[in-house]
Amino acid sequence: MAEYRTHLKIIGDILSTTRDDLQDEDGATVTYLIRKANISHSRISLILKTLVSQGLLEKVDSRRSNKYKISQTGREFLQAYNTFSGFATNFGLAI
Amino acid sequence: MEFLLENILNLVGFLVGLVIGTVSIIGFRNTGSPTLFRLAIAFFSISIGFFVIWTGYMVEDFVIKSGHIERWVQTLGIAIQTVGYFFIAFSHGIKSVFPKSSYFRSVGIFPLFLVSSVQIEHIFRSVSFILLAYAAIETILSYFENRNKGAISVAIGLSLLALGEFLGWYSFVFPESILYFVSMIIKIAGLIALFIPVSRVPLTKIKFDESFD
Repeated sequence: MAEYRTHLKIIGDILSTTRDDLQDEDGATVTYLIRKANISHSRISLILKTLVSQGLLEKVDSRRSNKYKISQTGREFLQAYNTFSGFATNFGLAI
Repeated sequence: MEFLLENILNLVGFLVGLVIGTVSIIGFRNTGSPTLFRLAIAFFSISIGFFVIWTGYMVEDFVIKSGHIERWVQTLGIAIQTVGYFFIAFSHGIKSVFPKSSYFRSVGIFPLFLVSSVQIEHIFRSVSFILLAYAAIETILSYFENRNKGAISVAIGLSLLALGEFLGWYSFVFPESILYFVSMIIKIAGLIALFIPVSRVPLTKIKFDESFD
């Protein structure tokens, strides 16, 4: 059975991919993020738009497609997310 | 001796609840997680509940000097703690029963307590026992899923608190026995077990939200 992921967990997965698992230095394409974060195109578009507007991701315009890189704020958020995710897991919960 | 233990228990409960509640609210402010918000409500309630009882004992000892704590103060403190235990159990309930329901994720279900004019305190204790036992079982089940060692300590802590509440409730049947004394020792041990994994949260690595005071 597939594991249920909270909205925050999906954001954490997207940010982790853009931080640790990039195809190249320019950033990750939407298609790559869809595959890595295992999420539909319509849903990831909305999430990416929000993450860019919140300053957690930076949109990099390239010739063929848009790419996304994690920002410094995104790195700090991801660190906080990982810390408090572990804290909640101690209580048997997921954030 | 019982007075001293009551004071230790209530102070430890107040401090442990305050620290875990503060870590939870810092987490909520930095991530926006509703789970952490519920944990913050839970542990602040537990902390306030212990503080109310501790204050009751202090006022009795230094001001009233009647030789026993006002019953309504003890009942109020236990009721506030029960609300805290409810929110811990509620968070597990959401995860296990309504994992995809946005309604239950956003709206809290407030507990319905039976009201008895005779022994409200013992009703709260029995409700607390059920909530704590449920939360302990869910926590140990989550350990089998992700093998996080901190979950064992929290599960032991919740189990000891549940046992302490049960013995505290059972001492109603044998009022002058050693049961109440034992229940306080067990609850202190439970609170310490709850605190162990929280003390390892590396907060120093977090760059806190600037709006957090």
